[in-house]
Amino acid sequence: MEAPVTKPKLVFNPVSKDYFDNPYEIYQRMRDEAPIYYDEQEDFYALTRHADVAAALKDHESFSSSRGCDLAMVRSDERPQKSIIFMDPPDHRFMRSLLNKAFTPRAIQSQRETVIELVEHYLSKVDPDHFDVVQDFSGPFPVEVITRMAGVPEEFRQQVRHWIDLGLHKEPGQLGISEENMQAHMDSGIYYYGLVQERRENPQDDMIGRLITAEIPGPDGEMRKLDDIEITGFLALLGGAGAETVTKLVGSAVVEFARHPEQWQLLLDDRSRVPDAVEELLRYVGPVQYNVRYTLKDAELPNGTVPAGKPVFLMKAAANRDPRAYDDAETFDITRDKSQAQNLGLGYGIHSCLGAALARMETQIALEHLLDFMPRYEVDFARLERVNMQNVAGYHHVPVKVLR
Amino acid sequence: MSKIVVDFGLCEANGVCMGIIPEVFDLDDNDYLHVLQDDVTPENEEQIRESVRQCPRQAISIKD
Repeated sequence: MEAPVTKPKLVFNPVSKDYFDNPYEIYQRMRDEAPIYYDEQEDFYALTRHADVAAALKDHESFSSSRGCDLAMVRSDERPQKSIIFMDPPDHRFMRSLLNKAFTPRAIQSQRETVIELVEHYLSKVDPDHFDVVQDFSGPFPVEVITRMAGVPEEFRQQVRHWIDLGLHKEPGQLGISEENMQAHMDSGIYYYGLVQERRENPQDDMIGRLITAEIPGPDGEMRKLDDIEITGFLALLGGAGAETVTKLVGSAVVEFARHPEQWQLLLDDRSRVPDAVEELLRYVGPVQYNVRYTLKDAELPNGTVPAGKPVFLMKAAANRDPRAYDDAETFDITRDKSQAQNLGLGYGIHSCLGAALARMETQIALEHLLDFMPRYEVDFARLERVNMQNVAGYHHVPVKVLR
Repeated sequence: MSKIVVDFGLCEANGVCMGIIPEVFDLDDNDYLHVLQDDVTPENEEQIRESVRQCPRQAISIKD
Protein backbone atom coordinates (compact mmCIF):
# COMPACT_ATOMS: atom_id res chain seq x y z
CA MET A 1 0.00 0.00 0.00
CA GLU A 2 1.28 3.45 -0.87
CA ALA A 3 1.22 6.15 1.76
CA PRO A 4 1.21 9.81 0.72
CA VAL A 5 4.70 11.05 1.49
CA THR A 6 3.58 14.53 2.53
CA LYS A 7 1.51 13.33 5.46
CA PRO A 8 3.23 13.80 8.83
CA LYS A 9 3.58 10.72 11.00
CA LEU A 10 0.42 10.15 12.99
CA VAL A 11 1.08 10.98 16.63
CA PHE A 12 -1.69 11.23 19.19
CA ASN A 13 -0.54 13.37 22.08
CA PRO A 14 -3.35 13.63 24.65
CA VAL A 15 -1.83 16.77 26.18
CA SER A 16 -0.72 18.72 23.11
CA LYS A 17 -2.07 22.18 22.45
CA ASP A 18 -3.26 21.09 18.98
CA TYR A 19 -5.29 18.30 20.52
CA PHE A 20 -6.85 20.56 23.16
CA ASP A 21 -7.75 23.10 20.44
CA ASN A 22 -9.29 20.58 18.06
CA PRO A 23 -9.56 16.94 19.09
CA TYR A 24 -11.67 15.91 16.11
CA GLU A 25 -9.01 16.30 13.43
CA ILE A 26 -6.68 13.74 14.92
CA TYR A 27 -9.61 11.39 15.64
CA GLN A 28 -10.38 11.20 11.94
CA ARG A 29 -6.80 10.31 11.08
CA MET A 30 -6.60 7.74 13.84
CA ARG A 31 -9.84 6.05 12.76
CA ASP A 32 -8.68 5.92 9.14
CA GLU A 33 -4.97 5.26 9.47
CA ALA A 34 -4.47 3.52 12.81
CA PRO A 35 -7.65 2.06 14.30
CA ILE A 36 -5.57 0.15 16.86
CA TYR A 37 -3.20 3.05 17.48
CA TYR A 38 0.05 2.27 19.27
CA ASP A 39 2.26 4.99 20.65
CA GLU A 40 5.81 3.67 20.71
CA GLN A 41 7.22 6.52 22.70
CA GLU A 42 4.67 6.47 25.51
CA ASP A 43 3.79 2.77 25.19
CA PHE A 44 0.00 3.03 25.08
CA TYR A 45 -2.79 2.01 22.72
CA ALA A 46 -5.81 4.05 21.60
CA LEU A 47 -9.07 2.89 20.01
CA THR A 48 -11.13 5.29 17.90
CA ARG A 49 -13.53 3.26 15.74
CA HIS A 50 -17.00 2.77 17.14
CA ALA A 51 -16.92 -1.01 16.80
CA ASP A 52 -13.66 -1.28 18.74
CA VAL A 53 -14.52 1.21 21.48
CA ALA A 54 -17.94 -0.38 22.05
CA ALA A 55 -16.41 -3.86 22.13
CA ALA A 56 -13.74 -2.76 24.62
CA LEU A 57 -16.33 -1.11 26.87
CA LYS A 58 -18.26 -4.39 26.89
CA ASP A 59 -15.20 -6.49 27.64
CA HIS A 60 -14.41 -5.39 31.17
CA GLU A 61 -12.62 -8.68 31.83
CA SER A 62 -9.87 -7.69 29.40
CA PHE A 63 -10.07 -3.91 29.78
CA SER A 64 -9.72 -3.30 33.49
CA SER A 65 -10.48 -0.10 35.36
CA SER A 66 -8.72 -1.22 38.53
CA ARG A 67 -5.51 0.70 37.83
CA GLY A 68 -7.36 3.95 37.16
CA CYS A 69 -8.87 5.68 34.15
CA ASP A 70 -6.11 8.09 33.22
CA LEU A 71 -2.70 7.39 31.71
CA ALA A 72 -0.77 8.79 34.69
CA MET A 73 -2.78 6.64 37.09
CA VAL A 74 -2.59 3.46 35.03
CA ARG A 75 1.19 3.80 34.80
CA SER A 76 1.66 4.58 38.46
CA ASP A 77 2.84 1.86 40.83
CA GLU A 78 0.35 3.08 43.40
CA ARG A 79 -3.14 1.61 43.37
CA PRO A 80 -5.81 4.27 42.87
CA GLN A 81 -8.10 5.38 45.67
CA LYS A 82 -11.13 3.20 46.34
CA SER A 83 -13.72 4.62 43.96
CA ILE A 84 -16.26 2.87 41.74
CA ILE A 85 -14.71 4.19 38.54
CA PHE A 86 -11.49 2.41 39.52
CA MET A 87 -13.07 -0.97 40.20
CA ASP A 88 -13.88 -4.15 38.32
CA PRO A 89 -16.66 -6.60 39.17
CA PRO A 90 -17.62 -7.87 41.66
CA ASP A 91 -16.57 -4.92 43.90
CA HIS A 92 -17.84 -2.47 41.33
CA ARG A 93 -21.30 -3.98 41.37
CA PHE A 94 -21.60 -3.81 45.16
CA MET A 95 -20.52 -0.18 45.32
CA ARG A 96 -22.61 0.97 42.39
CA SER A 97 -25.72 -0.66 43.78
CA LEU A 98 -25.50 1.60 46.83
CA LEU A 99 -26.51 4.69 44.90
CA ASN A 100 -27.82 3.68 41.49
CA LYS A 101 -31.46 3.67 42.57
CA ALA A 102 -31.18 7.40 43.28
CA PHE A 103 -30.27 8.16 39.67
CA THR A 104 -32.87 6.29 37.62
CA PRO A 105 -34.92 8.40 35.20
CA ARG A 106 -37.89 8.07 37.56
CA ALA A 107 -35.95 8.84 40.74
CA ILE A 108 -34.30 11.98 39.42
CA GLN A 109 -37.71 13.49 38.64
CA SER A 110 -37.60 14.58 42.28
CA GLN A 111 -34.79 16.97 41.26
CA ARG A 112 -36.73 18.60 38.42
CA GLU A 113 -38.03 21.55 40.42
CA THR A 114 -34.60 22.17 41.91
CA VAL A 115 -33.00 22.20 38.49
CA ILE A 116 -35.60 24.58 37.07
CA GLU A 117 -35.22 26.89 40.06
CA LEU A 118 -31.44 27.00 39.74
CA VAL A 119 -31.51 27.47 35.97
CA GLU A 120 -33.94 30.36 36.33
CA HIS A 121 -31.94 31.84 39.20
CA TYR A 122 -28.65 31.97 37.30
CA LEU A 123 -30.24 33.15 34.06
CA SER A 124 -32.01 35.96 35.91
CA LYS A 125 -28.65 37.30 37.07
CA VAL A 126 -26.91 37.58 33.67
CA ASP A 127 -26.64 40.67 31.50
CA PRO A 128 -28.24 39.71 28.16
CA ASP A 129 -25.95 42.10 26.28
CA HIS A 130 -22.83 40.43 27.50
CA PHE A 131 -22.49 37.25 29.52
CA ASP A 132 -20.44 34.10 29.65
CA VAL A 133 -22.57 30.99 29.25
CA VAL A 134 -20.05 28.80 31.07
CA GLN A 135 -18.90 31.06 33.90
CA ASP A 136 -22.27 32.66 34.60
CA PHE A 137 -24.65 29.80 33.87
CA SER A 138 -23.57 26.25 32.97
CA GLY A 139 -20.74 26.28 35.53
CA PRO A 140 -22.67 27.28 38.64
CA PHE A 141 -25.97 25.37 38.27
CA PRO A 142 -25.11 21.65 37.83
CA VAL A 143 -22.71 21.60 40.77
CA GLU A 144 -25.47 22.96 43.00
CA VAL A 145 -27.78 20.11 41.99
CA ILE A 146 -25.40 17.23 42.57
CA THR A 147 -23.76 18.55 45.73
CA ARG A 148 -27.18 19.22 47.20
CA MET A 149 -28.20 15.63 46.44
CA ALA A 150 -24.95 14.44 47.99
CA GLY A 151 -25.42 16.52 51.13
CA VAL A 152 -22.73 19.20 50.82
CA PRO A 153 -23.70 22.36 52.74
CA GLU A 154 -24.67 25.28 50.55
CA GLU A 155 -21.66 27.47 51.31
CA PHE A 156 -19.23 24.85 49.97
CA ARG A 157 -21.09 23.85 46.81
CA GLN A 158 -19.43 26.28 44.39
CA GLN A 159 -16.02 25.52 45.90
CA VAL A 160 -16.45 21.95 44.69
CA ARG A 161 -16.36 22.97 41.04
CA HIS A 162 -13.18 25.01 41.47
CA TRP A 163 -11.49 21.97 43.00
CA ILE A 164 -12.63 19.88 40.04
CA ASP A 165 -11.32 22.39 37.50
CA LEU A 166 -7.96 22.63 39.25
CA GLY A 167 -7.75 18.86 39.64
CA LEU A 168 -8.36 18.14 35.94
CA HIS A 169 -6.36 20.99 34.41
CA LYS A 170 -3.38 20.04 32.24
CA GLU A 171 -0.76 22.37 30.89
CA PRO A 172 0.11 21.54 27.28
CA GLY A 173 2.77 18.81 27.46
CA GLN A 174 1.87 17.74 31.00
CA LEU A 175 1.20 14.01 30.99
CA GLY A 176 1.61 13.45 34.71
CA ILE A 177 -0.14 14.91 37.73
CA SER A 178 0.97 18.42 38.67
CA GLU A 179 1.34 19.80 42.17
CA GLU A 180 -1.69 21.98 41.53
CA ASN A 181 -3.76 18.91 40.51
CA MET A 182 -2.57 17.05 43.59
CA GLN A 183 -3.31 19.97 45.89
CA ALA A 184 -6.88 20.26 44.56
CA HIS A 185 -7.46 16.51 45.08
CA MET A 186 -6.05 16.77 48.61
CA ASP A 187 -8.09 19.85 49.49
CA SER A 188 -11.35 18.33 48.29
CA GLY A 189 -10.48 14.99 49.92
CA ILE A 190 -9.77 16.64 53.26
CA TYR A 191 -13.01 18.59 53.02
CA TYR A 192 -15.18 15.54 52.24
CA TYR A 193 -13.39 13.45 54.85
CA GLY A 194 -14.22 16.04 57.50
CA LEU A 195 -17.79 16.22 56.28
CA VAL A 196 -18.21 12.43 56.55
CA GLN A 197 -16.91 12.43 60.10
CA GLU A 198 -19.22 15.27 61.03
CA ARG A 199 -22.19 13.44 59.52
CA ARG A 200 -21.38 10.26 61.41
CA GLU A 201 -22.17 12.37 64.46
CA ASN A 202 -25.18 14.16 62.92
CA PRO A 203 -26.65 11.99 60.18
CA GLN A 204 -28.91 13.58 57.54
CA ASP A 205 -31.20 12.20 54.87
CA ASP A 206 -28.89 12.56 51.87
CA MET A 207 -26.35 10.47 49.98
CA ILE A 208 -23.67 10.86 52.62
CA GLY A 209 -26.19 9.53 55.14
CA ARG A 210 -27.04 6.62 52.88
CA LEU A 211 -23.39 5.74 52.31
CA ILE A 212 -22.68 5.86 56.04
CA THR A 213 -25.38 3.28 56.79
CA ALA A 214 -24.84 1.15 53.67
CA GLU A 215 -23.33 -2.30 53.80
CA ILE A 216 -21.44 -4.27 51.19
CA PRO A 217 -20.02 -7.82 51.22
CA GLY A 218 -16.43 -7.90 52.45
CA PRO A 219 -13.69 -10.24 51.24
CA ASP A 220 -14.80 -12.90 53.75
CA GLY A 221 -18.38 -12.68 52.53
CA GLU A 222 -19.53 -10.91 55.69
CA MET A 223 -21.36 -7.63 55.29
CA ARG A 224 -19.37 -4.57 56.26
CA LYS A 225 -19.84 -0.79 56.34
CA LEU A 226 -17.89 1.62 54.17
CA ASP A 227 -14.95 3.40 55.74
CA ASP A 228 -14.41 7.17 55.67
CA ILE A 229 -11.97 6.94 52.76
CA GLU A 230 -14.43 4.98 50.64
CA ILE A 231 -17.21 7.48 51.29
CA THR A 232 -14.83 10.37 50.62
CA GLY A 233 -13.89 8.81 47.28
CA PHE A 234 -17.52 8.35 46.35
CA LEU A 235 -18.36 11.97 47.17
CA ALA A 236 -15.39 13.34 45.26
CA LEU A 237 -16.46 11.31 42.24
CA LEU A 238 -20.10 12.43 42.44
CA GLY A 239 -19.10 16.07 42.73
CA GLY A 240 -16.71 15.83 39.80
CA ALA A 241 -18.67 13.67 37.40
CA GLY A 242 -21.95 15.35 38.24
CA ALA A 243 -20.86 18.92 37.70
CA GLU A 244 -18.24 19.75 35.11
CA THR A 245 -19.71 17.44 32.48
CA VAL A 246 -23.06 19.20 32.09
CA THR A 247 -21.16 22.49 32.41
CA LYS A 248 -19.22 21.59 29.29
CA LEU A 249 -22.12 20.06 27.39
CA VAL A 250 -24.26 23.17 27.76
CA GLY A 251 -21.34 25.46 26.87
CA SER A 252 -20.63 23.43 23.75
CA ALA A 253 -24.34 23.38 22.91
CA VAL A 254 -24.48 27.17 22.75
CA VAL A 255 -21.41 27.22 20.50
CA GLU A 256 -22.70 24.51 18.15
CA PHE A 257 -26.14 26.06 17.83
CA ALA A 258 -24.50 29.39 16.98
CA ARG A 259 -22.56 27.60 14.25
CA HIS A 260 -25.71 25.82 13.06
CA PRO A 261 -28.54 28.37 13.45
CA GLU A 262 -30.88 26.22 11.35
CA GLN A 263 -30.67 23.56 14.07
CA TRP A 264 -31.53 26.15 16.76
CA GLN A 265 -34.47 27.19 14.62
CA LEU A 266 -35.69 23.59 14.55
CA LEU A 267 -35.81 23.71 18.35
CA LEU A 268 -37.49 27.10 18.42
CA ASP A 269 -40.16 25.75 16.10
CA ASP A 270 -40.63 22.48 17.95
CA ARG A 271 -39.63 22.11 21.59
CA SER A 272 -40.36 18.40 21.51
CA ARG A 273 -37.05 18.04 19.70
CA VAL A 274 -35.06 19.11 22.78
CA PRO A 275 -34.38 15.54 24.02
CA ASP A 276 -33.10 14.55 20.56
CA ALA A 277 -30.92 17.65 20.54
CA VAL A 278 -29.36 16.57 23.83
CA GLU A 279 -28.59 13.13 22.37
CA GLU A 280 -26.99 14.70 19.33
CA LEU A 281 -24.93 17.04 21.50
CA LEU A 282 -23.73 14.05 23.52
CA ARG A 283 -22.68 12.38 20.29
CA TYR A 284 -21.20 15.38 18.52
CA VAL A 285 -19.59 17.37 21.34
CA GLY A 286 -19.91 15.10 24.39
CA PRO A 287 -17.46 16.34 27.04
CA VAL A 288 -15.83 12.99 27.84
CA GLN A 289 -13.20 12.33 25.19
CA TYR A 290 -11.85 9.05 26.52
CA ASN A 291 -11.27 6.81 29.49
CA VAL A 292 -8.13 4.76 29.89
CA ARG A 293 -8.20 1.05 30.72
CA TYR A 294 -5.46 -1.50 31.34
CA THR A 295 -5.45 -4.82 29.50
CA LEU A 296 -5.33 -7.81 31.82
CA LYS A 297 -4.97 -10.17 28.83
CA ASP A 298 -4.61 -10.05 25.06
CA ALA A 299 -7.83 -8.54 23.79
CA GLU A 300 -9.36 -9.31 20.40
CA LEU A 301 -11.29 -6.44 18.83
CA PRO A 302 -13.10 -6.12 15.49
CA ASN A 303 -10.13 -4.29 13.95
CA GLY A 304 -7.20 -5.94 15.67
CA THR A 305 -5.60 -7.08 18.90
CA VAL A 306 -4.33 -5.21 21.94
CA PRO A 307 -1.70 -7.13 23.92
CA ALA A 308 -1.91 -7.70 27.65
CA GLY A 309 -0.42 -5.25 30.13
CA LYS A 310 -0.96 -1.99 28.21
CA PRO A 311 -2.80 1.26 28.90
CA VAL A 312 -5.55 1.72 26.29
CA PHE A 313 -7.42 4.92 25.53
CA LEU A 314 -11.07 4.15 24.74
CA MET A 315 -11.87 7.24 22.68
CA LYS A 316 -15.62 7.61 22.94
CA ALA A 317 -15.68 11.04 21.33
CA ALA A 318 -13.84 9.66 18.30
CA ALA A 319 -16.15 6.65 18.09
CA ASN A 320 -19.18 8.91 18.21
CA ARG A 321 -18.09 10.53 14.95
CA ASP A 322 -17.10 7.32 13.19
CA PRO A 323 -18.57 7.33 9.66
CA ARG A 324 -18.55 3.52 9.82
CA ALA A 325 -21.24 3.80 12.52
CA TYR A 326 -23.19 6.91 11.51
CA ASP A 327 -24.27 8.50 8.25
CA ASP A 328 -22.72 11.97 7.90
CA ALA A 329 -20.98 11.41 11.20
CA GLU A 330 -19.21 14.79 11.14
CA THR A 331 -22.51 16.65 10.68
CA PHE A 332 -24.40 18.15 13.61
CA ASP A 333 -27.98 17.06 13.00
CA ILE A 334 -30.53 16.89 15.81
CA THR A 335 -32.93 14.99 13.54
CA ARG A 336 -30.59 12.08 12.87
CA ASP A 337 -31.59 8.44 13.27
CA LYS A 338 -30.41 7.68 16.82
CA SER A 339 -30.78 3.95 16.38
CA GLN A 340 -27.89 3.71 13.91
CA ALA A 341 -25.35 3.08 16.65
CA GLN A 342 -25.04 3.19 20.42
CA ASN A 343 -24.25 6.74 21.53
CA LEU A 344 -21.10 6.45 23.64
CA GLY A 345 -21.33 9.98 25.03
CA LEU A 346 -22.34 8.69 28.45
CA GLY A 347 -20.32 5.51 28.17
CA TYR A 348 -21.60 1.99 27.70
CA GLY A 349 -21.68 -1.08 29.91
CA ILE A 350 -20.87 -1.54 33.56
CA HIS A 351 -19.17 1.86 33.95
CA SER A 352 -21.73 3.81 31.93
CA CYS A 353 -22.59 7.14 33.49
CA LEU A 354 -24.40 6.71 36.82
CA GLY A 355 -25.93 10.17 36.46
CA ALA A 356 -26.96 9.83 32.81
CA ALA A 357 -30.63 10.56 33.40
CA LEU A 358 -29.81 13.57 35.59
CA ALA A 359 -27.35 14.91 33.00
CA ARG A 360 -30.00 14.58 30.30
CA MET A 361 -32.65 16.28 32.40
CA GLU A 362 -30.35 19.16 33.39
CA THR A 363 -29.27 19.74 29.81
CA GLN A 364 -32.84 19.59 28.53
CA ILE A 365 -34.06 22.09 31.10
CA ALA A 366 -31.09 24.37 30.37
CA LEU A 367 -31.81 24.28 26.63
CA GLU A 368 -35.53 24.91 27.12
CA HIS A 369 -34.76 28.00 29.19
CA LEU A 370 -32.08 29.22 26.81
CA LEU A 371 -34.57 28.96 23.94
CA ASP A 372 -36.82 31.35 25.82
CA PHE A 373 -34.05 33.59 27.08
CA MET A 374 -32.12 33.94 23.83
CA PRO A 375 -34.11 32.86 20.78
CA ARG A 376 -31.58 34.91 18.80
CA TYR A 377 -28.03 35.25 20.03
CA GLU A 378 -24.50 35.55 18.86
CA VAL A 379 -21.31 34.01 20.20
CA ASP A 380 -18.14 36.08 20.24
CA PHE A 381 -16.11 33.37 18.50
CA ALA A 382 -12.86 35.34 18.74
CA ARG A 383 -13.06 35.18 22.52
CA LEU A 384 -14.03 31.53 22.90
CA GLU A 385 -11.62 29.73 25.18
CA ARG A 386 -11.34 25.99 25.43
CA VAL A 387 -10.36 24.09 28.56
CA ASN A 388 -7.11 22.10 28.68
CA MET A 389 -8.06 19.09 30.72
CA GLN A 390 -7.47 15.45 31.31
CA ASN A 391 -10.02 13.42 29.28
CA VAL A 392 -12.76 16.07 29.09
CA ALA A 393 -13.12 18.84 26.54
CA GLY A 394 -15.27 21.90 26.13
CA TYR A 395 -15.11 25.62 26.75
CA HIS A 396 -13.99 27.67 29.70
CA HIS A 397 -15.43 30.88 28.24
CA VAL A 398 -18.37 31.26 25.83
CA PRO A 399 -19.18 34.98 25.53
CA VAL A 400 -22.72 35.56 24.28
CA LYS A 401 -24.88 38.52 23.34
CA VAL A 402 -28.65 38.12 23.15
CA LEU A 403 -30.03 39.74 19.98
CA ARG A 404 -33.25 41.72 20.23
CA MET B 1 -36.76 -21.09 21.15
CA SER B 2 -34.46 -18.21 22.08
CA LYS B 3 -35.21 -16.49 25.39
CA ILE B 4 -34.61 -13.02 26.77
CA VAL B 5 -32.33 -12.88 29.80
CA VAL B 6 -32.03 -9.78 31.97
CA ASP B 7 -29.23 -9.29 34.47
CA PHE B 8 -31.11 -7.47 37.22
CA GLY B 9 -27.88 -6.67 38.97
CA LEU B 10 -26.89 -4.57 35.97
CA CYS B 11 -30.30 -3.10 35.10
CA GLU B 12 -30.67 0.47 36.34
CA ALA B 13 -34.16 1.12 35.06
CA ASN B 14 -33.22 3.42 32.21
CA GLY B 15 -36.25 2.19 30.32
CA VAL B 16 -34.62 2.24 26.90
CA CYS B 17 -35.89 -1.28 26.19
CA MET B 18 -39.43 -0.33 27.19
CA GLY B 19 -39.20 2.59 24.78
CA ILE B 20 -38.29 0.21 21.97
CA ILE B 21 -40.76 -2.59 22.68
CA PRO B 22 -43.22 -1.99 25.54
CA GLU B 23 -45.03 -5.25 24.74
CA VAL B 24 -41.99 -7.11 26.06
CA PHE B 25 -40.32 -4.84 28.61
CA ASP B 26 -42.22 -2.99 31.31
CA LEU B 27 -40.78 -0.77 34.03
CA ASP B 28 -43.02 -0.48 37.06
CA ASP B 29 -43.38 2.46 39.45
CA ASN B 30 -40.70 1.01 41.70
CA ASP B 31 -38.18 0.94 38.87
CA TYR B 32 -38.41 -2.82 38.61
CA LEU B 33 -38.17 -4.21 35.09
CA HIS B 34 -40.64 -6.92 34.12
CA VAL B 35 -40.15 -9.09 31.09
CA LEU B 36 -43.77 -9.55 30.03
CA GLN B 37 -42.92 -12.43 27.77
CA ASP B 38 -39.46 -13.83 27.31
CA ASP B 39 -39.77 -15.67 23.99
CA VAL B 40 -37.89 -14.24 21.04
CA THR B 41 -40.22 -14.62 18.08
CA PRO B 42 -39.77 -13.70 14.40
CA GLU B 43 -42.17 -10.79 15.05
CA ASN B 44 -40.29 -9.23 17.96
CA GLU B 45 -36.75 -10.39 17.27
CA GLU B 46 -35.55 -7.24 15.55
CA GLN B 47 -36.78 -4.95 18.33
CA ILE B 48 -35.41 -7.21 21.02
CA ARG B 49 -32.00 -7.23 19.37
CA GLU B 50 -32.25 -3.45 19.19
CA SER B 51 -32.99 -3.39 22.94
CA VAL B 52 -29.98 -5.60 23.62
CA ARG B 53 -27.78 -3.24 21.63
CA GLN B 54 -29.20 0.00 23.01
CA CYS B 55 -29.30 -0.95 26.68
CA PRO B 56 -26.72 1.40 28.18
CA ARG B 57 -26.01 -1.15 30.91
CA GLN B 58 -25.74 -4.20 28.64
CA ALA B 59 -28.14 -5.89 31.00
CA ILE B 60 -30.16 -7.70 28.33
CA SER B 61 -29.06 -10.76 26.39
CA ILE B 62 -30.59 -13.48 24.29
CA LYS B 63 -30.05 -17.11 25.24
CA ASP B 64 -30.45 -19.74 22.57
